[in-house]
Amino acid sequence: MRAQVQAWYGSWLRRRIPAARSVTLDQRRVFIFPTRYGFFYLTICVLLFLGGINYENNLIMGFSFMLTSLFITSIMSTFRNLAGVTLVAGQYRAGFAGAHGAVEVRLVGGRRYHRSLWLRWRDSKQQAPREVSLEPQAEDSVWLDVLLPRRGWVDPGRLQITTRYPLGLLRAWSYVDLDHACLAWPTPVASQSAPASGGEEEQGERQHDHGSEDFEGVREYQPGDSLRAVDWKKLARGQGMNTKMFNDPVEGRLWLEWDRLQGLDPEARLQRLCWWVEHLNGANQPYGIALPGESLSPATGSLHHKQALDMLALYGQPRREVN
Amino acid sequence: MARVYQVPAHAFRWLALGVVLAVLPHLVSAPLWLQASAVVLVGWRILIQRGRLRMPGMLLRTAMLFALTGATLWSYGTVLGPAAGVALLVAAFCLKLLEMFRLRDAYVVVVLAYFVLATVFLLYRNALVTIYVLVVLGVITAALIGINHPEAGVKPRTHLRVAGGLMLQATPLMLVLFLLVPRIEPLWNLPSDKREARTGMSDSMSPGEVSRLAQSNELAFRVEFEGEPPPMRERYWRGLTYSWFDGRRWSQASPRNIDERALVYRPGERPPEWYVRLRESRQGQNYTYRVLLEPTQQPWMYALTVPFVEARQHMMARDFRLLSNNEIRDLMIYEVTSWTNMPLDQPLPDWERRLNLSLPSEGNARSSALARQWYAEANSDAEFANRILAHFRNQPFYYTLEPPLLGEQRVDGFLFNTRRGFCEHYAQTMAFLLRAAGIPARIVAGYQGGEVNTLGSHLLIRQSDAHVWVEAWLDQDGWVQMDPTAAVAPQRIEVGLREALEQQGEGDVFGAFDELTNNALMKQLGLLTDYYEFLWQKWVVGYEQEQQGHLLSGLFGEITPVRLAIIMGVAAGTVLMLMFLLMLWGNRRAPLDWWQQEYWAMQALLLRSGVQADIQQGPRGMLAAVRQRSPAAVSAFEQWCQLYETLVYAQPGLLAEGGGRRKRMRQLRRQVARSLGR
Repeated sequence: MRAQVQAWYGSWLRRRIPAARSVTLDQRRVFIFPTRYGFFYLTICVLLFLGGINYENNLIMGFSFMLTSLFITSIMSTFRNLAGVTLVAGQYRAGFAGAHGAVEVRLVGGRRYHRSLWLRWRDSKQQAPREVSLEPQAEDSVWLDVLLPRRGWVDPGRLQITTRYPLGLLRAWSYVDLDHACLAWPTPVASQSAPASGGEEEQGERQHDHGSEDFEGVREYQPGDSLRAVDWKKLARGQGMNTKMFNDPVEGRLWLEWDRLQGLDPEARLQRLCWWVEHLNGANQPYGIALPGESLSPATGSLHHKQALDMLALYGQPRREVN
Repeated sequence: MARVYQVPAHAFRWLALGVVLAVLPHLVSAPLWLQASAVVLVGWRILIQRGRLRMPGMLLRTAMLFALTGATLWSYGTVLGPAAGVALLVAAFCLKLLEMFRLRDAYVVVVLAYFVLATVFLLYRNALVTIYVLVVLGVITAALIGINHPEAGVKPRTHLRVAGGLMLQATPLMLVLFLLVPRIEPLWNLPSDKREARTGMSDSMSPGEVSRLAQSNELAFRVEFEGEPPPMRERYWRGLTYSWFDGRRWSQASPRNIDERALVYRPGERPPEWYVRLRESRQGQNYTYRVLLEPTQQPWMYALTVPFVEARQHMMARDFRLLSNNEIRDLMIYEVTSWTNMPLDQPLPDWERRLNLSLPSEGNARSSALARQWYAEANSDAEFANRILAHFRNQPFYYTLEPPLLGEQRVDGFLFNTRRGFCEHYAQTMAFLLRAAGIPARIVAGYQGGEVNTLGSHLLIRQSDAHVWVEAWLDQDGWVQMDPTAAVAPQRIEVGLREALEQQGEGDVFGAFDELTNNALMKQLGLLTDYYEFLWQKWVVGYEQEQQGHLLSGLFGEITPVRLAIIMGVAAGTVLMLMFLLMLWGNRRAPLDWWQQEYWAMQALLLRSGVQADIQQGPRGMLAAVRQRSPAAVSAFEQWCQLYETLVYAQPGLLAEGGGRRKRMRQLRRQVARSLGR
């Protein structure tokens, strides 16, 4: 029964406020209802009215009428504080599945101010809402954390935007679907043997003997760095153990391959590949990825790292226009 | 303990100011302990906000609450009733300031502040205080707005501006409610306070009391006539009658053994026989007028003889007085129709005759003897009465505000020795002489005359117009009004007390007061403020059922409950509709920016060219569809998309400038159009 109602409500909401990259809130999309304080306030209005009648005091009655009128006026101003705001889907920050990512919501003000708007995801109750105020014609953006339960595109659900400004007696809100999605990389899971072909064993000797022009510099040795990349000359000079860094992708380096993870289901394979991407990135070793139907040539660097992670995240996912 | 809620600094400023201003009027005449606690508690709260002090603990707060309740009981003897209740409310409200741990508490404080502010009207009801209350209402509302805008660095002034805007918007609806919401009678009796007696008439009189009252310039009541008021000499405002004389004082009296219900008529109930008779014998001149009576703490209402009223909360007594059901604690407005020339010749029952003939068995023997002698010489009761008046007129009697003291034999002393007195001396002497001669007589107390405010054409009756006169029951005519003062000092009745006394060289009684009022400008100013106060009282403070009925029936014809409901519905509906329209108008779609127009133009182009594009998908969502339709268009379309995305998503800052992008996008769109064959 409950589920049925929720499903019906969800579909009603989808029809009323369909998903769109950019939504301007208007009377179709804004809901409004008194808060608890609003009811408390109205109680006081009624008490003053009764007091005015019983003490035959017109001014007290007039005061209660003023408070009542303020309440009714604030229906309008609370509504207008929310209506007119344009919400635009912004960028996202990907994260590993099981952790958090974030998406950006851009807010564009209308011709009047919109103050103290609170944003959060409708379905995550424990998340602290973020507050934002817009002066006329101003823009602002808010990053909202997204919990990433699984790999791939994660839909954070509808955005709830709420305001109680100016009097706090009424709450105006809307549930907006900005067609937001946040990308979740696979959760890294360690595996003993590298699902790799190539690498040092086969072609590794070639490069740094030559003193490649792609030599980027040295950094302090970290556990996991290849011993072949160690700058032995510096070590001999007593300058500590350093690792030589190379930037440029080099043909025929380490390939992380989907096919080498036989016997695992696809998600598990991606998780292991991801762990190796992280590991190799940390070790600053060039790596490439070969998935069924697509591949990424070996390279190093943060851009490459992101491409690799995104590739793993997007594997087998429906195509989607990037935020 | 959970984190303590902090009122934002910009809101706290208004909250503190609002609290102080709301409490201030209550403190003016409050007991010292309340003034002191308010100062301490508010000061404490301000120091907490500044981080100097901490919130007191539960124990201390409870102790303070008990102390304040105890102090209220000690000062007022109760915690019920408006005065004690409001004192306790103010004390508890200030204490609540030290208990703001959560947002909820802040709301409670704000709503209580509204409540405390409203109770100011229990103390004061004039226009200036109303303006003050509205200003404070704005300040408290600004605090509420600030609480709902919990960001750092907001300017406090913003809140006040928003509050002012809200109040302006709320005013029309408030006026509609004020004018149209039906005024109903009190639903139940609330405890009320015994207030200090004010200057004014009392239920007994001894010589010297009215003359003291007459030196007060305080306002007693205002009267607004429908049409012309009667001339000054006919303006006798009857308030009460004194029928019992004990040798020193004249007092109100009603006989024992008589059912009180037979003595008064209450509108809506079965009228007693005397009232039916009186009503049937109405004839001659009548006046309809509205009295705005200042609070007297007494039930007596003032009106011209013989007054008829229709409102249920009023009564008419057998001796032609009007009474209110309750003591008049607030301004009271009532409408009366008086028939001033009708005969008052109803039968005089034995008990009433005896009451109005009663005299102390001893004392004032010379006067009694004189009365019997004159009565024997007179041919009729009327002739006898005229002889008394002629005696006052012809003998050297003086009208003065400062009569000499009288001895034990008051009537004898005045009639034969001092011969100097104010209205009560003459009235008491005449009543005594009439009774001694066997003619039923009583003293009537009230006011005589009244000054016309030429701006508003209403009458002002002050305590200085206080007056007493005599009523005698003559066989042929029934009750007849006689004013011995008019025989001594006709000016008192014709033009007023001050002029009468000035003619006798006694005007300096009003010395200090005169210096102010003789100045023409001050006098004009006085009339003006009186006029505004009159309007305020009539339309705001005293806007009750009657005025509401008058106003509505003036506008819409006869008022039935159904019609009233319709009027209310239509008026409230109109106001709400206007507000709703304003809401939609203020919220109408802002005109599209150029980049939005560009987007819609492209959208429209694609749709016209038969590209199956999903509007919700954004420009790139349409790319595939474009490719399918015409590969030649793809390149231009892709460039267009890129520009659009840079503009809208990547760098919204560019939107405003546009610059060359606008032109470029238009060119690209035309290229797409050509490739699509349009």
